[in-house]
Amino acid sequence: MRAVVYEGIGSVSVRDVPDAKVEEPADAVVRVTTSAICGSDLHFFHGKAPLDPGETIGHEAVGIVESVGAAVERFRPGDRVVVAFDIACGTCWFCRSGQTQLCEDFRNLGAGIFGGGLGGAQAELVRVPLADTNLLAVPPGVEDERALFVGDVLTTGYYGAAISRIRGGDVVAVVGAGPVGFFCVQGALLHGAGEVLALEMDPERLALAERAGAVPIDVSARNAQTAVAERTEGRGADVVLEAVGHPAALESALDVVRRGGSVTVVGMYTSETVEIPVGIWWARALTVRFAGICPVHAWWERAMGEVVAGRIDPLPIVSHRLSLEDAPLGYELFDARRATKVLLVP
Amino acid sequence: MAVFPSDEWFAAYVDRINGSADYREAAATWEGDLAFVFQAEPDRNVPDDIWGWLDLWHGECRAGRLVDPLEGEQARYVILAPYSRWKQVLAGDLDPIKGMMQGKLKLRGDLPTILRYVRAANELVQLTMSVPTEFIDELPHGWQAGRGEGGA
Repeated sequence: MRAVVYEGIGSVSVRDVPDAKVEEPADAVVRVTTSAICGSDLHFFHGKAPLDPGETIGHEAVGIVESVGAAVERFRPGDRVVVAFDIACGTCWFCRSGQTQLCEDFRNLGAGIFGGGLGGAQAELVRVPLADTNLLAVPPGVEDERALFVGDVLTTGYYGAAISRIRGGDVVAVVGAGPVGFFCVQGALLHGAGEVLALEMDPERLALAERAGAVPIDVSARNAQTAVAERTEGRGADVVLEAVGHPAALESALDVVRRGGSVTVVGMYTSETVEIPVGIWWARALTVRFAGICPVHAWWERAMGEVVAGRIDPLPIVSHRLSLEDAPLGYELFDARRATKVLLVP
Repeated sequence: MAVFPSDEWFAAYVDRINGSADYREAAATWEGDLAFVFQAEPDRNVPDDIWGWLDLWHGECRAGRLVDPLEGEQARYVILAPYSRWKQVLAGDLDPIKGMMQGKLKLRGDLPTILRYVRAANELVQLTMSVPTEFIDELPHGWQAGRGEGGA
């Protein structure tokens, strides 16, 4: 089968690799109809997370079940499914508590040794362990492109907003209007935000956030703290969602939150270190919550429901639809921020 | 009339500090230089961060001027805030100590030491008000801090 392969820092290619196949009774193999390049793929692309040359990459995919192992009960060949980007056992204490990202046997598609050595989803076929837990049926009438992001980035943004204790009418600031931020905006509005402020410097991303219902604030032209203060009678935002995953974004989030407010860190971190003024955070009575990896299994049915109902629209985020063979170009565009979201079609 | 922030403004401010008996008494045991970061607000004629610096020692201000970030980073204490927050401080609308506790100004350095010198800090703020000041965001666009009209 053809698959996107990590070649080294800043380089991927598309190569022939052995076909994905059912290896365990609970496995399914999915024929990918559309996959996507995710921001977290760039961590591997840049060598910030370990991936060995020759390993396959990618974890956002929608497709059709090709084959299943004998222990799979909920899916059969021919079913349309979306794939969970994080692979959970579904039975441990954390999984049963809805925190599947903390699973005792947590794995990740296309993340090399870090993810348990599973293959990537930017491929013609992908093996999905424990398929009954890690696949979600796509409802009839929902196109692949609408369903795709429910397995990762859409649900990540929705979850980030859901755990942020947004109260009706709150002013919510979203730091970063990339794909995660785009879905945080929609999630925040669905969870009762009175106003969502999108803090971003890229004009295209600002336009997308505005289209999703946010007030765009161009932080290349305005100081974020001052701009948010002006819209909140000087207080700052009630809730801030940090949707970037960079210390500067975290600092910005803490700059714009009001006293007694909360910051949810949705963006992904790996090895960054920051100095924390604990006394000031304590005096400001801040709630700072790290969302961690999205426990997608606990939230994806609700997220899919929002997509089906039309309350979350994922399509505006898609800027490029490329052949799988053009994945290197897709990575180049996405890495250079010349694409908001790249789809790869085998 | 000196433009805030500029070397001229800092020179006038240093004179005011050194002319204040109240400050000299309140800061008699203070040791340490202080950098101020007037963070960029492009829509207010502050396209880049501006760093100011005061060398404060035992109730005296030994020097004060604009500095580059590398020099400013060496200061024992660094206080950062958007330019317009500083303007609020200079207008007496924002108490800098409260502002630090509220996250409106950020301190790099030992907060308890600063808190022990609240009176000196308040005196420093009062003294800013005695400097005849024009604010950079109220000047015609094109004026640049420390370099004047057109950055010449």
